[in-house]
Amino acid sequence: MKRSLSLLAKLLKIQVRSQLQYPTSFILEVLSSLLIQGFFFVAFGLTLIRFDQIGGWNLGEVAFVWGITEFSFGIMDMFFSGFDYDSFGPMVRRGGFDQLLLRPVNITLQVLGSRFVLRRLGRIAEGLVILIFSIIQIHASLSIVKVLYIPVLVISQVLFFSSLFIIGATTTFWTMDRLEILNVFTYGGGEVMSYPMHIFPRSIRLIFTFIVPAIFLSYYPAVYILNKPNPLGSPAFFAFLAPFISAFMFLLALRFWRFGVKNYQSTGS
Amino acid sequence: MSSIIHVQDLVKTFKIYHDHKGYLGAIRNLFDRKYDLVHAVDQINFDIHPGELVGYIGPNGAGKSTTIKMLTGLLVPTSGEVRVNGYIPWKERKTYVKHIGAVFGQRTTLWWDLPLSDSLTLLQHIYEIPDPLYKKNLAMFREILELDAFMNTPVRSLSLGQRMRADLCAAMLHDPKLVFLDEPTIGLDVVAKERIREFIQFINRERGTTILLTTHDIADVAKLCERVMIIDHGKIVFDGKLDHLLRTYGGRRFLSVQFAEIYPEPVLENADIIKMEGNNVVYSFMRDTVSASHLIHKLSESYRIADLEVNDQPIEDTIREIYEKQLLYNHNHDKKNPAS
Amino acid sequence: MNAFLATVRISFRRQLTYRAANLSGLATNLMFGFFRASVLIALYREQPSVNGLTLQGAITYAGLTQAMIGYLSFFHWYELMHTVYDGQVGSDLLKPLDYFLYWLGVDAGRALGTLLIRGVPLFLVFALFYDVVLPLSLLQWGAFLLSLLFALLISFGWRFMVNLASFWTPNAIGIGRFAFGLSWTFSGFFFPLALFPDWLAEFSRLSPFGASVYIPIQVFIGNVSGIELTKSLIIQLTWIVILVILDHIILNRGVRKLVIQGG
Repeated sequence: MKRSLSLLAKLLKIQVRSQLQYPTSFILEVLSSLLIQGFFFVAFGLTLIRFDQIGGWNLGEVAFVWGITEFSFGIMDMFFSGFDYDSFGPMVRRGGFDQLLLRPVNITLQVLGSRFVLRRLGRIAEGLVILIFSIIQIHASLSIVKVLYIPVLVISQVLFFSSLFIIGATTTFWTMDRLEILNVFTYGGGEVMSYPMHIFPRSIRLIFTFIVPAIFLSYYPAVYILNKPNPLGSPAFFAFLAPFISAFMFLLALRFWRFGVKNYQSTGS
Repeated sequence: MSSIIHVQDLVKTFKIYHDHKGYLGAIRNLFDRKYDLVHAVDQINFDIHPGELVGYIGPNGAGKSTTIKMLTGLLVPTSGEVRVNGYIPWKERKTYVKHIGAVFGQRTTLWWDLPLSDSLTLLQHIYEIPDPLYKKNLAMFREILELDAFMNTPVRSLSLGQRMRADLCAAMLHDPKLVFLDEPTIGLDVVAKERIREFIQFINRERGTTILLTTHDIADVAKLCERVMIIDHGKIVFDGKLDHLLRTYGGRRFLSVQFAEIYPEPVLENADIIKMEGNNVVYSFMRDTVSASHLIHKLSESYRIADLEVNDQPIEDTIREIYEKQLLYNHNHDKKNPAS
Repeated sequence: MNAFLATVRISFRRQLTYRAANLSGLATNLMFGFFRASVLIALYREQPSVNGLTLQGAITYAGLTQAMIGYLSFFHWYELMHTVYDGQVGSDLLKPLDYFLYWLGVDAGRALGTLLIRGVPLFLVFALFYDVVLPLSLLQWGAFLLSLLFALLISFGWRFMVNLASFWTPNAIGIGRFAFGLSWTFSGFFFPLALFPDWLAEFSRLSPFGASVYIPIQVFIGNVSGIELTKSLIIQLTWIVILVILDHIILNRGVRKLVIQGG
């Protein structure tokens, strides 16, 4: 375990160093991703001026779910890029995964350490700025418990999104290619979690409750933290299921991953 | 058990799927797919002993890669037994791969974006190579493979030949007892190939590393291997000494003659004319049918000769002829170890 | 001309063979269309029209943008770059067909194929779920199709230029990410530009990005007609001319550089 962690640290450190080799281009990439991602929120905010509110939430309140989702997704995307099925699928197909199997180290650790994308700092910063903007707006409704719950939510969302990445990566063992449809759950999940989710039709909400339980990671906790009425009429304790559901999902995803690795077979050529 | 690789009745069968066509077909494929069974490796047997350098050759799609992937644990056999170094490769992956090295000519094990030196450092940690050993090996390989010129270049910017040298170094750092080399000279120019061959010879001779070499380039085998195994249609059709193979199935020779004048049809018994340009004629004949001296004698009786030369057929051509004409396949179809 | 059409045809056919990928992409874009439409419905509530855009128009907008993503391929296209990095560019430059036309042919085939098996079905399915606005006259349909063709030319002109960066730097992907971020941002893909503050909407509309995405949609939902329609098409044409000229200038310089350095 200790050796694994120190190896992981080395893998990450060397990648960070190589990505910082051209600091100007690195800074530009971080800034551009910050500005471009940030623009969407600004655009949404400017649009909201014409309407005042969406689903009964004002900009500061939407900014809470928007910011926390962007922040968590960015963190996940930085650390779990190795499992990004967009690149993992092609890697399996080209035999890159075989190369990892030929090394005497735990395979999960190797995949985790295979890709660390530091430029995601842009998106992380963007999410953080929006979250801080939100907290400035909504601080009146915050209590100590609520403030403490925010980091728990971030961790839960990171686990949640990484589970989706891991599951996505595992499916590519069979498909041998990226499956764009998974984007509905990962990036689509991020999208629906960035709004007060009661605005979506029942069918979409059901998908993001029972197939991918995104609603427990964003909407229910936000209703509690922001003191908003809940038009869905669900029990109050739903607000606190986030850490349990995400931990459960993460374990499930890891099991599926191990199952995939165990049954993985290279191609014949 | 003295062999380092033991393979018995090894079989690998693949399902080749036929996809349904069309839009709805794409959906149907998810539930119901038709397939054919293909025997990529079909009941093969062999043993390799420590210190051997064995060439494993055969035409495209004969089953070479499938065998190597089973030996390295990347594929699980359909049936049969494999023991390498005392391990069952696909069952004890992590401990097994510590003691082997592998180079796949088409792929790299190095980190694409990192300088070569960083990749090698990471491998030291991955294989837990003690510092003194790592330093000793690295110093040696740097010199033999001349790595210094591109030690700090990112792997993606290396030429194919440089990358192959780097990959060979990477595969040898942890002193593996056994190394699998899959097409290590593919795509390289003559000079680069020669350099790689010298290195392979060096690690086999000087360090006693057992090597299983698959290749398309018969020149690799001719230069390096005493023993060859030929696989075709999933079956091992020859396993034995290279010169035995050549003696039995090769032995084609060429007689090039420059006549003193032009003859319209300078025919010769037991030899075929394969090229004729003015007064220069090339004959082909088999070593065991007729001797060169006999042919020359016959020629000089009927024609005036200015100059002549006798050549053996290059080994590459001999082997190509062997598998193109499927000489071995027809001969030894039911025998298990034809040459031993 | 024949070589160009042959390139289009080959590329079109190849696109049609990626059935599973296209189906998967269609489903994804469709879902995103639903998400965006839901957000618009929640925003509009009881208001029939905002800044000249009706709710029905806005919903149609959401469906159309998703239907056009694959066709325009405005935010992710590194094909040319890859050929520069793997050396294929050398033989491409030697083709008897002009390099710009060759890639335009490849891209046009790809775009048409995508439109046919991904874009059109997506919009039809979308229309089953939502009440959409359709062009009312043959003239409007014609204007829309023309505008859609112009949109592809603008999108291609932009992507071609961005990809040419690979002639100069080994790290053109980073430039591409930034450039495609720009086109994503200002094209109106995310939200109907009419809902933005007017200055931002106007800026986007005049940019090549808005000209490529926003204008054809405006034509489709009937928000521009008569003089306004002509003006919109002229904006598009202007961008096509500008981009084609820029592409050729940059390409010539790039080729010269490539030749001098020996590729």
